[in-house]
Amino acid sequence: MNNILSYLKNKHLIWQGKAINEPDSGSLSGYPELDAGLEGGLPTQGVIDIHSDIGIGELRLFLPYILQRQARQQRLLVIIAPPLQINGEMLAELGIDLNQVLVIRPGDQQQALWAAEQCLKSDCCHTVLSWLQNLEIHQVKRLQLAAKQSHAVQVIFRQQQTQGLSLPVTLSMSLQPQAQGLRIKVNKRIGSWRHQDIQLNMQALWPALQLPEQHNNDNNIIPFPKQRAS
Amino acid sequence: MKKLWLYLHFPRLQMDCQFLAEQHRPVIILEAKDNSTRQLNELASKAGIKPGMGLGTACALCHDLHVEPYNSDLESNKIKQLCDSLYQLTSDICLFPPDGILLRIHNMLRFYDGLDNYWQAISGTLDKNNIRYHYATGATPFAAKILAQSQWDQVCEDRQQMHQQVLAQPLDASELPTRVVDNLKRVGIRLIGDLAAMPLSEIARRFDIQLVTYMGRLLGELHHSISFYHPEKRFNRRLELLYEIDNTQILLPPIQLLLQALEDFLLIRDQVTEELLLNLHQREQASLTVTVNSAEGEYRAKVWQTLMQLKLESVQLQSPVYALSLETGNTHLKTPRADDLFSGKKTALSQTQLIAMLQAKLGQELVQQISLHNDFRPEQVNRYQNAGKALSPLPKLQANRPFFLLSEPQKLNEKVRLLQGPERIVSGWWDDHAITRDYFIAHSAQGRWYWVFRTAEQRWFLHGVFA
Repeated sequence: MNNILSYLKNKHLIWQGKAINEPDSGSLSGYPELDAGLEGGLPTQGVIDIHSDIGIGELRLFLPYILQRQARQQRLLVIIAPPLQINGEMLAELGIDLNQVLVIRPGDQQQALWAAEQCLKSDCCHTVLSWLQNLEIHQVKRLQLAAKQSHAVQVIFRQQQTQGLSLPVTLSMSLQPQAQGLRIKVNKRIGSWRHQDIQLNMQALWPALQLPEQHNNDNNIIPFPKQRAS
Repeated sequence: MKKLWLYLHFPRLQMDCQFLAEQHRPVIILEAKDNSTRQLNELASKAGIKPGMGLGTACALCHDLHVEPYNSDLESNKIKQLCDSLYQLTSDICLFPPDGILLRIHNMLRFYDGLDNYWQAISGTLDKNNIRYHYATGATPFAAKILAQSQWDQVCEDRQQMHQQVLAQPLDASELPTRVVDNLKRVGIRLIGDLAAMPLSEIARRFDIQLVTYMGRLLGELHHSISFYHPEKRFNRRLELLYEIDNTQILLPPIQLLLQALEDFLLIRDQVTEELLLNLHQREQASLTVTVNSAEGEYRAKVWQTLMQLKLESVQLQSPVYALSLETGNTHLKTPRADDLFSGKKTALSQTQLIAMLQAKLGQELVQQISLHNDFRPEQVNRYQNAGKALSPLPKLQANRPFFLLSEPQKLNEKVRLLQGPERIVSGWWDDHAITRDYFIAHSAQGRWYWVFRTAEQRWFLHGVFA
């Protein structure tokens, strides 16, 4: 083979059509548009790489999916290195059993990766959510291998990056906020070609978080009770 | 049934424990109290050193002599350890400090179908320890002892032969005080047999009661009461290192030895433990205690080894370690894991094992679970606690709470659009954290969903993020 071609192949910058793995049929994400865009839904195992800002709905995207996995498998949901404190009340309200939720706050990225790999390998976690930056290919490969071994899913949340490196993940998506929900760009999905961006409407599932057409909530503000002088 | 005793004599216990005998130089172990040589290796005895010699004489005989101080703790530890392993084979064990073990064997022979089988089992266990020993059977404890110390090294049930052998021993080999032995020699009594030929009443008239008791016990005419050994209830073992170690990674192989002993100990008792305390005895520093926990009770050395290794990665030694000791926390009976045979493949680790492993590596306080408390104040609802403990029952939950909370509300310095609210929370008047707030769901220009609140002073704060 041509030297340049093999070089590019080793760098994972190109891949060959014949080496396609059948994409896994996926499990429903809870959002019909996303299921359609991903031809079946989110993967049932492997590493999902999410490029997103904090607070635009990146977790709401996964919550129906996590709930579904939690209900089906009596395994742990592990949250590693969250950028802010996790509010357990919200998880409990959704119906997630807090006994099955583990929050790990490692000191550095090395520990975070170690913990994620152990959790995936242990076969007793269904989903691991980690917030990581600057990943190396070999690190992701290890996570991918561990996740596939035990049919677990590793979701990695990262800030928007213009990194050219193509990581060996099962699915990579970039999220942009939108009035109705999210605009999802699928950067990579094993076994499929690039599709159009997915317009996701999250209002049906999260009625509390929607932008009204007309913004008028001035009339329902009640003055605070007078504080007694003490 | 006539009684039969087996005595095991360990002439060079400390030397064998410290692997001094194999060294290519003369070594003696000196008892500092009375300045006498207690143990010596072959090279030392070739140089003419004899047990009991003073340090001066020994040094004069051999210029490159290596001298080790006698360590009685080490020997008694080792003897106890041997007793523990022998206890698996035989029931009645008695310690003869500092260097002997007496076994009552006549009641075990039927169980083993003969003395040969029994001795095979015992000697097999002893040989595993790489310790030199002498042994002998005897009709009485003292008879067995005197024969073992004279290196007879035979087991037999022939009482006549054993008796003859005992009678042929010189009086020096007995436990009689030197003064008494000298007195007896002066009147021409040199062997035990000479003394035994005289009637006890005659001896009692001429010598003190000590000699009479000894002879009576030796020949089985007087009862010799023995108190038997009971193994320890808890595992607590100490290991002296052959040289000082200042790297925790190098400590792992010796720790493995201790863990293996722990496994044997717990396995026989069908017990598990949740906590191990490893004491690292440091030269010139207070000893360091490393506690390793496993939420699921465990006995296997392999599992503890992994946890120990992870824990030690974060341990800093202040000075070199010369000894290790390992003890268990609470132990309890093993209850098997309830795995469903039909629920598909078994998991590699149980959840508690995973938590134990993460906690060992990262520290207990970094692996947490969320427990909810019944409170309206968002700050008070979430309590993070170390994983593995029971959570408090779920309180009444509020709707529309954000996924992320800021640990401290921050001033809102961003233009936001209020979407839903207000949700008024006025609570906590009973303690120091009273709040009066109106909470809103807000949307920022960047498309973020915030949970903000307004205080009575009309100041705005950001408290949560809907991710």
